[in-house]
Amino acid sequence: MAKESFDKEIQFLRMLVLTSGAFNRKQFAERLGISVHTFDKTTRKLKEAATSLHASASEEPSKEFADLLHYSYHDSTDPLLLFLFRTKSVKESESERISLLLSAMNEQALTAMELLDLCCDSLPSDLALPDEKTIRSDLKYLEAVGVVKKEPGPRPYKYRIQDDLVRCLSDEELIDLYDFIDIMANTQVPSVQGYLLRDGLKKHLLENPQIAGAVEPEAFLYKYHYYSRILDEAHLFTLLQAIRDHRKVRFEYFSPKSDRSYNSQNTNPLFERNTTSKREITLPLKLVYDHQYGRWYLLSHGRQGIRKYRMEGITQLEEGETVEGVWHEQKKTELTDKLKYSWLIDTGKPIMVRARFYNPGGSEPNFIKERVLLQGQWGQIVDEDDTSFIYEIMVNGTIEIKPWLRSFGSSCEILEPRRFRQEMIAEWKEIQSYYESI
Amino acid sequence: MNLFEKLFSHQIISRLEHSGTMMITSHERAWLKTMLEHPAAKNAFTPETLMKLQEILEPEQAMDISLHLIQKAGSVERQVVHPLLRPLRRLIMNKSGIRLSYTVKNGEARTDHHGIPYKLEYSMVKREWYLLWYRSRNRALMSTRLAKIHELTEEAVPPAAVEAMRKRMGTLLDSRKNQVLIEVVQLYNEELSRILYAFSSFEKQVEYDAEQDIYRIRVVVFGDEAEYLLSKIRFLGKRVRVIEGDYLKKRMLEAATKALARYQATETESHEEISS
Repeated sequence: MAKESFDKEIQFLRMLVLTSGAFNRKQFAERLGISVHTFDKTTRKLKEAATSLHASASEEPSKEFADLLHYSYHDSTDPLLLFLFRTKSVKESESERISLLLSAMNEQALTAMELLDLCCDSLPSDLALPDEKTIRSDLKYLEAVGVVKKEPGPRPYKYRIQDDLVRCLSDEELIDLYDFIDIMANTQVPSVQGYLLRDGLKKHLLENPQIAGAVEPEAFLYKYHYYSRILDEAHLFTLLQAIRDHRKVRFEYFSPKSDRSYNSQNTNPLFERNTTSKREITLPLKLVYDHQYGRWYLLSHGRQGIRKYRMEGITQLEEGETVEGVWHEQKKTELTDKLKYSWLIDTGKPIMVRARFYNPGGSEPNFIKERVLLQGQWGQIVDEDDTSFIYEIMVNGTIEIKPWLRSFGSSCEILEPRRFRQEMIAEWKEIQSYYESI
Repeated sequence: MNLFEKLFSHQIISRLEHSGTMMITSHERAWLKTMLEHPAAKNAFTPETLMKLQEILEPEQAMDISLHLIQKAGSVERQVVHPLLRPLRRLIMNKSGIRLSYTVKNGEARTDHHGIPYKLEYSMVKREWYLLWYRSRNRALMSTRLAKIHELTEEAVPPAAVEAMRKRMGTLLDSRKNQVLIEVVQLYNEELSRILYAFSSFEKQVEYDAEQDIYRIRVVVFGDEAEYLLSKIRFLGKRVRVIEGDYLKKRMLEAATKALARYQATETESHEEISS
């Protein structure tokens, strides 16, 4: 059976979150390359998952789906998009059986036969009763994902839930653990597993009146956080596994640069009307997270050498054949060398960029210098006087560093290269023209 | 690993709710084990708890992500967990009051200010923790860097005062809310997704004018955030234009004019050098 793809749900949510409120149903469907009927179906499916998980959502059943996802900074730090990873559908009988098995193994260690008896006694009679084979395969699955553990001892084996992590900790320690998971999931990558763990632990703490107050209301907020990045993590682990296995991957790619006509066969993740997809086969080398936009890239080896893909453009990802390990390692090393001077992922020729930064006047703390030190990557401050300082950096091309330098406004003047300086002057002239009439 | 495990299905999760059953997959444990290797873990736990966690997770395999992931253009990670987080989060949870001594921006000291802690806020840009608190004397919302706090003492406050503070905090926060309207310059519509990614860390609403094919982004800015939004707008350069929000428009004009004057001054200087 083909692996269930969640591409449509991912693209749907990304578009909904990024373009919140911009499109009506028809426009939305058109941009995603799906029918209005599919749009409605997807909305229903996602809404069902969201409302069954978020109490706040089910309180207002009439609320539009887009509003449910509307991000409001001070209201909640729950990762709204996490429910994407909860949308896999399971047969009614299976979900009933698995949850029954899990809660039984929560109280005590049980054998497969004991669990079978329990199912026969507890499951509603209108559901088909499971046989021993089904229970054994459930246990095998639950053991494989690490949720239950075989107890040491002779046959028949007993199984119990593997929750030492919460069972061995005191209430105080659980609070510390929750905080740590919350902080790391919000500030580090990858984050999805952390968010899943946080979600489970939060529910667990809420059941305990002594410490429920630790998680509701939440004590922490995260400012300027790219919360939609967790959508891009959906492909991350498949790609990581391919790198470990020295394996090529195949996917349908929507390039942001492509200007060919729109292809309605596939879901267009970039929701820019004039893009079309292309079948790609490539060997993944590295995954790059860009903090400036909160986006992921896949860097790989293809027929024309190094290839770069934006994670959000990748759909229908599949594993391909393996390559020789030594050769793969060599390609990875070559790429790492080329990325040494990349501000982001540019692997072009390195050049020296020099810029003068002007200190803020008066008694203000020098927030300009502070920011350059904080964000200037491997660049160096080479000269300094009372009013300004010179920053130097060897970087692959000027395209990627330009927005950062421009973000300093009049506090940054590019000195070299000359052509780069001229470009920036031209841009400021154009920006000035935007506001001259005010 | 598959993030779309059937085990994570909302149908199973919602059935297990209130059953006291906690499902933890080996991938979640592997993630935690990896995160515990971060130096921040030392500030997040007592040494005993940290050891206990490491023991529990000993049989797990940590993720090998650092071999395959590269992070670019981030701020230097100065601080992920501050030692004051543990006591402060408990004071917030217990609805206590505080007495604080700290240093403000210009270096002046503030001693024994009374108030009620509200939330702890981490800035992904500055990579630092701040305490949002309510200062009783002037009934104002304060934001203080944890790194600038010298002394912190717990003080008893009547629960009703904390409730009143929380209510007032909501109003205070709302009153600092402003809206700005930013237009995507049509020539750059092709770069829409990139532009929207750049604004995705703000509370916002997007409007689309189908007739003219123009996108406008309504961004919510809180009092002290205008500077950061400005840096984002300058970051995007010619691609966007502020169309509503006088302060931001004025600042953008100022930035462009001043930048051009600087370039002009240097050009003149170097010409003078050549001719002299």
